[in-house]
Amino acid sequence: MGENTPFDEMYNADGSVREPYRALSEWLAEQPEKGLALMQADAEAIFRKLGITFAVYGSEEGTEKVIPFDVIPRIIAANEWRKLSRGIEQRVKALNAFLYDIYHRQEILKAGRIPEKLILNNAAFCPQMMGLEPARGVYAHIIGVDIVRVGPDEFYVLEDNLRTPSGVSYMLEDREAMMMLAPDLFQRSKVAPVETYPENLRRTLESVAPAGAGRNPVIAVLTPGIYNSAYFEHSFLADQMGAQLCEGQDLFVDGGKVYMRTTTGPERVDVIYRRIDDDYLDPLTFRPDSMLGVPGIFDAYRAGNVTLVNAPGTGIADDKAVYTYVPEIIEFYLGEKALLNNVPTYNCTDVDQRAWVLENIAELVVKEVHGSGGYGMMVGPTSTKAQHEEFKKKIIARPDNYIVQPTLALSTCPTHINNDVAPRHVDLRPYVLVGDEVRITPGGLTRVALKKGSLVVNSSQGGGTKDTWVLED
Amino acid sequence: MRISIDHRLSFTPPPGTGQAVFHLLLTPRSGPTQTVESWSVEGPGIGNAGRFTDGFGNAAHLVNQIRPEGEIVFHVRGEVETRDSHGVLGRPAGEAVPALYRRSTELPKVPAAFKGDFANTGGTRLDLLHALMAEVGAALGMPDQAPTQMQADGGQAQTSADEPEERPMPADYAHLFIGAARSLDIPARYVVGYRLADDDEGGLHAWAETFDEGLGWIGFDPHQQLCPTERYVRLAVGLDADTAPTLRAVPAIKDQDLDHRVSLKSVLTSID
Repeated sequence: MGENTPFDEMYNADGSVREPYRALSEWLAEQPEKGLALMQADAEAIFRKLGITFAVYGSEEGTEKVIPFDVIPRIIAANEWRKLSRGIEQRVKALNAFLYDIYHRQEILKAGRIPEKLILNNAAFCPQMMGLEPARGVYAHIIGVDIVRVGPDEFYVLEDNLRTPSGVSYMLEDREAMMMLAPDLFQRSKVAPVETYPENLRRTLESVAPAGAGRNPVIAVLTPGIYNSAYFEHSFLADQMGAQLCEGQDLFVDGGKVYMRTTTGPERVDVIYRRIDDDYLDPLTFRPDSMLGVPGIFDAYRAGNVTLVNAPGTGIADDKAVYTYVPEIIEFYLGEKALLNNVPTYNCTDVDQRAWVLENIAELVVKEVHGSGGYGMMVGPTSTKAQHEEFKKKIIARPDNYIVQPTLALSTCPTHINNDVAPRHVDLRPYVLVGDEVRITPGGLTRVALKKGSLVVNSSQGGGTKDTWVLED
Repeated sequence: MRISIDHRLSFTPPPGTGQAVFHLLLTPRSGPTQTVESWSVEGPGIGNAGRFTDGFGNAAHLVNQIRPEGEIVFHVRGEVETRDSHGVLGRPAGEAVPALYRRSTELPKVPAAFKGDFANTGGTRLDLLHALMAEVGAALGMPDQAPTQMQADGGQAQTSADEPEERPMPADYAHLFIGAARSLDIPARYVVGYRLADDDEGGLHAWAETFDEGLGWIGFDPHQQLCPTERYVRLAVGLDADTAPTLRAVPAIKDQDLDHRVSLKSVLTSID
């Protein structure tokens, strides 16, 4: 880790093509001049037609943008994926076990393996969840693990995203678009399907329905509404699953149960895939000023009359300060060594570590503990001196509000840039479903930093996406 | 002692309310210091309420009313047999881990001096907590006449026209005590319940409980400067008044718009 030359996923150091990329390399060589540019234009038309947009917070110009799509897929070999998915499965099992423990006997705290205050005084810890028995013991059902690659065999988990990870609709649409754009390329490779995700999501949600729900549980997707940056995804997933898309006002509690207003009268709801943050979910239990949630929904959940997916309070397991303990968490609950690496993280509340961080800030990545979407972060090597100084001040003022990590040399993938192909840094967000079983969609969402040298892949910061292929044996 | 409780709780939702939802903590549980002999909660929607145990182990009701009109009344009646245990509750089964109550919340604000004063006072934890209780009494003043009726739920200080000075309420004493105990790393929780005063009157009251590895949970009533006796009936616990409201509602109801009428009586059980 940390060597200056990033790992190129397509080419070996001697310029030869890595095995998983062989078919793609041949295909690229066969493309006529401007072929990729034409394909890129087609791709944009497809996405505009599909209406896949996202909102950029704080942006001056029109807030709805089409997410840039790169027409060159990212390819992962079957053996690479097997290793990755084993590591992911291990992580999500351990994190769910951790959540169960934290909201019950708190053995890991009693054993002194994680500082008690880090959990109990954490804003993401939800005391109202204490003692609740979620269906199948699962708290985080829908997870998007952010992974970066730095070498042929070296992967790091950046974040576990156990709250309401977004982006899965891009994974699905990227594949659909890619199949329209380059059907011939799919014929040359055996690519694992991703289209099963909505069906798997539905199965997962049905498997955690409350006891009295019957054979065909009613599922609703609860969205904050059309102004949310991921509204498209909420409506897309509801549509794909054959579930109802609801806003808070469409649901109500009666007699301790949750109902949906329909044209034919109230219909009982069994499982709610909610894309509203904990704080806004229920004004009766959480923020009383929330207009987005459903009053009483949390009590109905506690009464065992509805399942909330993901459970409130899962954020304690993907808190950036708790992240550093994930290897410990895996060992504690599974008795196994972590299969995937954690990025070394410096704790700024420690005087010695802070001093070192302040001295080396130009080389480091600084993230807000509760930040997300690439907001409130600084990548040392690509920031100005003024930005370094600004973040030094921030760290000194609130050392507990930041975590600091070394700048990882993210791997690069060939990317279509101005009718040419050039390497750009990528990350990977595989999507995991946890219910009656763990279901991991092969691949996931590859985000690519389109700016040369940039390491920030977030779509809100000018990143794009790629179709992600996992090759089958 | 057998205490008979009659608690009438009323309020009027704002006109035009389409749906009112209530979270009630009005059902005491039997435990080491009390046995609930009979109990009933009556009110609109109680018949098909959602009943559940909340995160703090309290028996809760989720009640709703579609298009409520006029005053809503919840009427609670029951009898509870209490036992004096010098405030010691022990370790009742089915409760959340005590460490939970080391979580700091916004309500209890502790003067900085408190921590310094108590951190190094030798003695046992019990001595320390008694000293802390006395200190809270000194800081907030001893109530010259114990109010028999708390202002609504939280019972926090409120000003009125003929009493310009804010008079601290039992909840304020409890909060200060809880905050101080937690700042010393001692788990402490808020208790809402009923207290029968010496003159056979009484009402809603608030106090605190702290955890000791040896004795388990121990009650402290810094407002009355004593550990709860057989005159106390525990109704619900929480991190603070906000997490243990006897009634919470959407649309929200202000404390002053919530009318609690509580009458308590000691009932003599005759032995013929």
